[in-house]
This record gives sequence, structure tokens and C-alpha cells, in this order.
Amino acid sequence: MDRRGFLAASGLMLVGCSRLARHGTPIELYAPGLAAGHALRGHPALPVPSATLQVDTVIVGSGVAGLSAGWQLARAGFKDFLVLSGPELYGNAAAGEASGLVYPRGAHYLPLPSSESGHIRELLYDAGLLDGMRYDEAALIHAPQERLWIGGRWQEGLMPEHGVAPHERAEQARFLAHMHQLANTRGNDGRRVFALPIAAASSDPAWRALDRINFAQWLDREGYHAPSLRWYLDYCCQDDYGIALADTSAWAGLHYFASRNGQASNADEHAVLTWPDGLNPLARHMAQRVGADRLRAGHALRIDTGAHGAVVLAQLGKRTVEIRARRVICAMPLHVAAHVVTDLAALGYDATLHRQHHAPWLVANVLLDRFPTEAAGAPLSWDNVVYRGRSLGYVVSSHQLIRAARPERTVFTAYQTLPGMAAAASRQHMLAQDAETLFADIAADLDTVYDWRWARHASHVELTLRGHAMTSPTPGFLDNAGLAALRQLDGPLLFAHSDLSGFSVFEEAAWWGVQAAHKILG
Amino acid sequence: MDRILIVSVFVVASCGLAYELICGALASYLLGDSVLQFSSIIGAYLFAMGIGSHLSKYVRDEDVLPRFIDIELLVGLIGGLSATLLFLVYGWLAAPFRTVLYALVVVVGILVGMEIPLVMRVMNARKAEFNELVSRVLTFDYMGALAVSLLFPLVLAPKLGLARTGLLFGLMNAAVAVWTAWSFRAELPRLKASVRRAVVVLVLLVAGMGLSDKLNTWAEQGIFGDEIIHAQTTPYQRLVVTRWHDDTRLYINGNLQFSSRDEHRYHEALIHPAMQTLPWARHVLVLGGGDGLAVRELLKYRHLQSITLVDLDPAMTRLFSTAEALTALNQGSLKDKRVQVINDDAGRWIETAGRSFDAIFIDLPDPSNFGLGKLYSEPFYRRIAHQLAEHGLVVVQSTSPYFAPKSYWCIDATLREAGLTTWPYHAYVPSFGEWGFIIAGKAARFMPPTRYDVPMRFLDGPATALMFQFPPDMQRVVVEPNRLNTQSLVHYFEQDWGNVIR
Ligand SMILES: Cc1cc2nc3c(=O)[nH]c(=O)nc-3n(C[C@H](O)[C@H](O)[C@H](O)COP(=O)(O)OP(=O)(O)OC[C@H]3O[C@@H](n4cnc5c(N)ncnc54)[C@H](O)[C@@H]3O)c2cc1C
Repeated sequence: MDRRGFLAASGLMLVGCSRLARHGTPIELYAPGLAAGHALRGHPALPVPSATLQVDTVIVGSGVAGLSAGWQLARAGFKDFLVLSGPELYGNAAAGEASGLVYPRGAHYLPLPSSESGHIRELLYDAGLLDGMRYDEAALIHAPQERLWIGGRWQEGLMPEHGVAPHERAEQARFLAHMHQLANTRGNDGRRVFALPIAAASSDPAWRALDRINFAQWLDREGYHAPSLRWYLDYCCQDDYGIALADTSAWAGLHYFASRNGQASNADEHAVLTWPDGLNPLARHMAQRVGADRLRAGHALRIDTGAHGAVVLAQLGKRTVEIRARRVICAMPLHVAAHVVTDLAALGYDATLHRQHHAPWLVANVLLDRFPTEAAGAPLSWDNVVYRGRSLGYVVSSHQLIRAARPERTVFTAYQTLPGMAAAASRQHMLAQDAETLFADIAADLDTVYDWRWARHASHVELTLRGHAMTSPTPGFLDNAGLAALRQLDGPLLFAHSDLSGFSVFEEAAWWGVQAAHKILG
Repeated sequence: MDRILIVSVFVVASCGLAYELICGALASYLLGDSVLQFSSIIGAYLFAMGIGSHLSKYVRDEDVLPRFIDIELLVGLIGGLSATLLFLVYGWLAAPFRTVLYALVVVVGILVGMEIPLVMRVMNARKAEFNELVSRVLTFDYMGALAVSLLFPLVLAPKLGLARTGLLFGLMNAAVAVWTAWSFRAELPRLKASVRRAVVVLVLLVAGMGLSDKLNTWAEQGIFGDEIIHAQTTPYQRLVVTRWHDDTRLYINGNLQFSSRDEHRYHEALIHPAMQTLPWARHVLVLGGGDGLAVRELLKYRHLQSITLVDLDPAMTRLFSTAEALTALNQGSLKDKRVQVINDDAGRWIETAGRSFDAIFIDLPDPSNFGLGKLYSEPFYRRIAHQLAEHGLVVVQSTSPYFAPKSYWCIDATLREAGLTTWPYHAYVPSFGEWGFIIAGKAARFMPPTRYDVPMRFLDGPATALMFQFPPDMQRVVVEPNRLNTQSLVHYFEQDWGNVIR
């Protein structure tokens, strides 16, 4: 199926199209899954199926979790399965394309896999990206990796240094050394305290108690007060979890810094893997292993389970089909599953009691006909962030190209969360704004670092609005009993989604997909 | 009385426009991007004139005439010397060119902006009919502008050059001052002082005129040392070709690329040690080398059927295919039937190059930035290896093993990291110093040639043997290969040259 057909069938929603008043640049606003998701709310009358399909296993959802499950099944030679894409093929790992340039619509990088992430190494090996300890160098982040706009100029790296007092710098160093030490700390069961995936982490209650306080409280307790460090940590919480420092579980905040212990023979330990279109190539690789004939565009309207299997009522384009399967892997977000899976509560997950915090995200992809003129200091890097800025900075999609000169055109991808507001309020806020207002806010940082002419070179803007983009690890997330119940399931219905971890990163999503596949393979 | 003022208006308007044009032309000549330079200079100038008109109202009625004379002298001095001054600044002081340029534009603009309002007030005070006055002043103002806008590009700039054109208009401003002072001598309270000032200005301007040739040469020498026969700013780089006697030189972004006196050493060393051992080669690739000099050497091999040259900058290959002084150097190599010139980024082109080559010569600029550093990386060399025939050879220009040892051996380590066997060598090129190359191949065999079948100026068997030996002060240093993740080469390169140039 071609891409256009897929979009039409899967109902990726184009909410609006307008133009920037300033320069007439067209702005497209996408809200993936919005229409399909909202249509499922409040027990709508369901259409009658016109056909029935029989298959051993259906994977519902084609995000990283769903595709990892399919990839594992296919690798094991298991053939009798289907993947139902859902409203957005690749989910948060989707990518876009404009005038021959590709860019991420969500996830953009993968750190070197941690010591526990055998499943990620296996995937990278399978995709020809890893050989022993050596990663494909074209995919390893190229220097210069990051820079920060601070005090009117660019400095290298994101930890504030320029104009920062020595005692703050000393505190930053102390913090990083502390994290380094935590990365090697093991609990009373011998496992790493902050392992990735967290399924492999120590269950030592002394350490898990950190989940009861927030990260800001932990920093206070440990005497980390330097404003520059606190800004940096707040930035990291938003960038990874979509929430502010003070809303993040201390355990999760530390996990971000202490879990990544990956090594490469041909890169720094802080290196990441990335492509012009973010992590989409990894998702595409898994989809290709699944095979086009097993990947169906469409979404689930209802999932019923019985003693001998499950039935998925699916909307495939205009057709409504009943898919009877021995087992179903539910790889869609739990807030959607709550409307689709009948009697989720009976499985141990109560949608009101166990509901998680969902952070909304806005991603702006700006197609530029020319690189803007750079100010003094560190040169244009892959990730470019403004100290105390409005957004989380912007990534340059052409950064990973091997070129002597800059290409003529590029795409800047800017990210933004609204951590100050309650999730529902910020979702409402984002949906209420028109595209131009949303863009003005997310692009404010570009106005700061470039002269006013930069926007004239923007020939196209695409805004991807993800209302329920990801679950955020607020204090107490480790002890969510509903999630624990879903992780345990081994009946006709299995769950696989980053939501099961309580926070959203590639390694976690893939982990649950691989686990579900192993349960099916027995 | 009125006539003199009207003539003044005409001259003053001509001079005003002339300074604007001179600054615009100079800025686009030295900085490139002429549309931008001209518009921003005209904008700044007109704006400054607005400020000048505004300021003119603070001149008291009784001072109008002496102030007008002072302003004429000042405009004449500053405006007249502006072009010369800017040349000198550009040649000898690196940073503040733009600042000086705009400061001059604004100062001259303010002064010029005061002229016409003051003239009007002088005439008004002499009871001229106001309607009549405005229309006459403006008519001559615009006529002066027309005269200069035609004279400047057609006669003055080409015949006199920018510096002397500026001085000429400066003299005209000063002349207006003197003439006005003389005509109104009865009304001027301190005539002597005015005359003294006028004399000083006239002397300075005349002296400037006399010395302008000297000053100009001195300024350009500050830039390149030699006569410039071509200068061009392309979207990628600034190209300057200079000549001094029989020495033609190419500079890219101010860095010497070759000197015609000894480039044969560089290009023979780049091409022949590899080519002499590949008598079976049919198709070769050159990356960079848009000057066509490497291709000239390759064309000596009759058995080559095709030479593909990939260079980023179309302006560069066009220049070296058409300019007579340059095609004389490369013997018209870029126009040869066997040569195909492609203008593309070598990094991009190699990704889609569907064919293989028997020899590949990588003659790219030094790895002085992250972009160029990517074309000295392991993935790039793997791509190169992919396009290389099984027994073919790659030759890489690899900076200086003497001045930049870390960079040189880093390139060697990177080639080996990409799975290639390497044979490093070096040659002495007087205008560069000791320069380095690396031959690399997939199969582990290469023997430096002991003789050459094609005519040679520099190389023979014994000279070649020496090239492959590294004396004690140029021994291999142990360095990291250039990884895209760290781009160590770019850092080494900075360190190496930082040590040389203090
Ligand atoms: C803006 C942004 C940036 C991010 N950046 C990174 C990053 O750089 N690195 C990183 O590791 N992680 C990042 N993440 C986290 C990212 O969410 C995870 O990496 C991963 O993509 C999550 O995959 P998933 O399968 O768990 O969920 P999702 O991607 O949410 O997949 C859910 C799937 O369910 C489908 N679905 C929904 N409703 C239905 C239905 N009714 N029927 C059938 N299917 C349905 C959807 O179509 C989708 O395919 C980012 C997230 C966002 C939002």
C-alpha cells in the first residue's frame, strides 16, 4: 500500500491548514489519532462487521511496542499473525517528508543500549547497525552534538557553563559524578538499581522508596541548589518525560541519568543513534521484517476476550471486519485500550484508579530553503537549545548527512511540552490554539537565536500535536498495581506498550513488545 | 548670489550620491552579495540623511552660512577619503571592516543630510520666493543625482577606480566650500579661519590623490601580497587568483591552494606514484581538484578512457575551464573529451555513484571544519572503498606530516579503520612546505614505482623512494581515527596549526 493510501485508511488526522500571516508560509496541523481516539469514547454504537478473518495472533497497534512484537515473531519464523496499524503507522516513531527531505514527527534518538538492553542490541544487529561493540558510524551522532544559547551566545554542550559561577560549576560536576556512581550501584538483589528496561531493575525497597518523593525534593535533600543545574535537570525531565522536575518521581529523574551505561568501540559513552527522520528507520526495519502483507491499515473498535481466544472488531478503511484470533497483543496506549477492551477492570486495570499522567507534545517541523545565519560561538549542532527557552530546542534533520557543505535546504524540528499546566488543561489549551499561535510559541526560541530573517526562509511548517503523547513517571508510578497486573497477563490478551513501564522510551516500548512475542512463542 | 547656491546644490547632490555609490560598490566588491550590500548601504545612508535634516534645525540662523561651509569641508574630507580608508582597513585590520563601513556611511549621510536644508535657509534668508526656491533646489538636487548615477558606473569607477573617484568628489565638495566662502566673504565673521580649514582639507585631498595608487596597492598587498586577477564570492567560498611576474596563485577563503611555480610538485606527487602502477586502469575519479591540475596530470595516460571530476563549486570549475591565464596552467584539461565535470557535494555524489573506478584521487580542502571533516571519515572511506575496483588505489591529500602530524596520521588511521591498507608518503612543495599524501587500497600490495613512463618534471625513481621514507622528525604519531561522533581530525587540525601559527 502506498503512503497516501495508508494515511487515508488509517485516518491520520489533518486538523487544519493555514498560513503564517507574516510570510504566507503554509502551516499544516496534524493530530494523529485524535479523530479515531475521540470517536471511541463513551460507548458509541459499533458497526456490524461485513467479514470475518481468522488468524493466530493479532497485534493491535504499530508503534515501537507492536512492531517489536511482530519483528520477534517474524524472526522466530512465526507466520500466522497480523499487525493492525491503528490511526498512526509507527506511532510516536513516525516520520514525515516534504520536498524530498525527511524528518521525525516524534522520537528522534536512541542512546547506546544499556547493559540490560539485549533486545535493543539484537534489533540493531539485525538491522546491520551493530557488529560486536562497533556501531554503524553514519548513525552514531556526528559531532558537534549539542549546544546551548546562553548569555547571548552559543556554548558547546547543554549543561550551562558560559557565565556560570564556579561554585555552580562545581555542583554540576558533583551531580554528574554522583550519577556516575549511581549507574554502577546495585540493590540487595544484586541487580542495577537504575536498570533499563526497568523490568530488570532492582526491587530493593530502600531504593524504590525514591519513587515516593519528587525529583526536586531529592535535589533539595542532597544539596543541589545551583540554578543552572536545576534548569538543566528540569530541561531533561521535560525532554524525556514531558513533565517538570517537581512533577517527576525522584526515582525516574535519577533513572534518566544513571540507567544509560552503553558502550561502543567507536564512540563516546554519551553517543546516541539517530537518523534524519529520527527513530523511524528502526520502526521501518521492524515493519519490513513483519512484511507488508501482514501489516494492515486500520484500527480496533472493540476487543473481546473469551476462554479460547479473542475477537477484534476492526475498521479497515471503509470495511468493518471481525478478526478472530487465538491471542491478541494490545499494543495501543492504555487510555485508548480502556475504551476498546471490554472489561479491562476484570484484568486488574481500573481506568480511573490506575490512570496515568499523559503529557501532550507539540512537534514543529520547519522546512527551510536556506540555513539561517548563525551567531557567534559553537557552530550549528544536532540539538540546539535555548537556556530558559520556551521550547525544548530544535534538531537539525540534515545533521547526519555526510556532506562537505551544508545542503541547500534542511528541516528544523522543534519540540515543546507544556509542563506548567495540568495534563488535561494543557491538552485543551493546545487544541484551542490556532496553528499560527502554536507555531509562534514553539518558534519563539528560533526568533531569539536568529535574526528576524530566518522565518522568511521557511517554506513549509508542519505541526504535529500529540494530545496524549506519552505517560509521565510522576511519584508513585513504580507501584501502579494496574500496570503490574497487565504486565503479568499470559492469557488470550497480552499487553505491550511503553505505558506498561510508566514512562515512554524506545527501549521500554520494545521490551514489552519482545516480552509479548516470547509469551506467544512459548 | 543665487546662481552660486544653485550650482552648489548641483555639486552637493552629485557628491552625496557619489559617496553612497562608492560605499555600496566597495562593500559588494569586498563582501559579496551586492543586492544586500547596496540596499543596506542605501538604507543606512538615507536614514542618516534624515537625521542630518533634523539636526540642521539646531543651527542658529546667524550661523547658517559658516556652518554650511564647515559641513562642505567635512563632507569633502570624510567622504573623499572614505574609499581609501575602507581599502586600508580591509587590507590591514581584519575585524572591524563592516563597523567602519557603516560608521562612515552614517557620518557622511548625516553631514550630507544637513546640506540641502541649510542651503534652503541661506536662500530663504535672502528673500527668495519660497515656492520657487523649493522647486529650484529640488530640481538641481535631482539633476545632480542623475549626472553622477550615469557618470559613476560608465566613466568614473572604471577609469579612476573607487578610491580616486571618492577623492575627486571630496575635492568638489571642498571647492564648493571655498567658492561659497569667497562669494559671501562680506557676510562671514571669521573668514580667515574658514579659509585655513579649507586649505588643510584641499591639501589632504590632493595628497591623497597623489598617493592613491600607492595606497591602493599597499592595501591589496595587505590582503594577498600580489596583483589580483580574479576575485569572486560564490555560495561556497571566496576565490581569489593573484599574479606576480610568472607566479599565478589561487586562494580559497584566503588559504593558498597552489602556486604555479611549484604546483607541478604537488600534482605529480598526488597522481603518478599510484598511476604508474595501474597500467590497466581505464576509469578514474577525482574528488575536489576543480582547478583541473590533477586532471592535467591524469590526461598524460593514454589508456584512461574516462576521468570523472566531482567538485562542489560550479564557479570554480567554470573559472578553470574558461579563464585564459588558468587554462594555460591546466592545459584546458577540464574541456578534454575524456573528462566529465560534475558539480556536486562529493559526500552526496559518492552515495549514488553507481559505478566503480580503478583509481580515486581525493584532493579536498583541509579538514578545517566539521563539514569537511565528514569527508575524511570512516563511513566516507568505506563508501570510497565500495566504488573502488578490487585492485585499484585511492590517493588522499592528507595535510602536512611535518606541520600537522596528528592530522596526517589521523587520516592514515581512519583509512585503515575503513579496512584499507595504506602507504603514506610526502613531498616537498616550497610554497606549502613538506606535504603529505596517502595511497590506500583493498588488496595489500603496492610498490613505489622505480621509474615513470610519462614525462615528469619532479619525480624519478630515487626521488620517489625518498617520498615513502619518513625521517626521524616526521615519524608516525599514535592518534585516534577520525570518528564522526567526535570528529577528532577537526580538533587535531586546529591544534596542529595552532602550534605552527602563533
Ligand atoms: C515528541 C516525542 C518525542 C520522543 N522522543 C523520543 C526519543 O527521542 N527517544 C525515545 O526513546 N523515545 C522518545 N519518545 C517516546 C516514544 O513514545 C517511544 O520511543 C515509543 O515510540 C513508544 O512506542 P509505543 O509502541 O509504546 O507507543 P505509541 O508510539 O504510542 O504506539 C501506539 C500505537 O497504537 C496505535 N493505536 C492507537 N489507537 C488504536 C486503535 N484504536 N486500534 C489500533 N491501534 C491503535 C497507534 O496507531 C500506534 O501505532 C518520544 C515521544 C514523543 C511524543
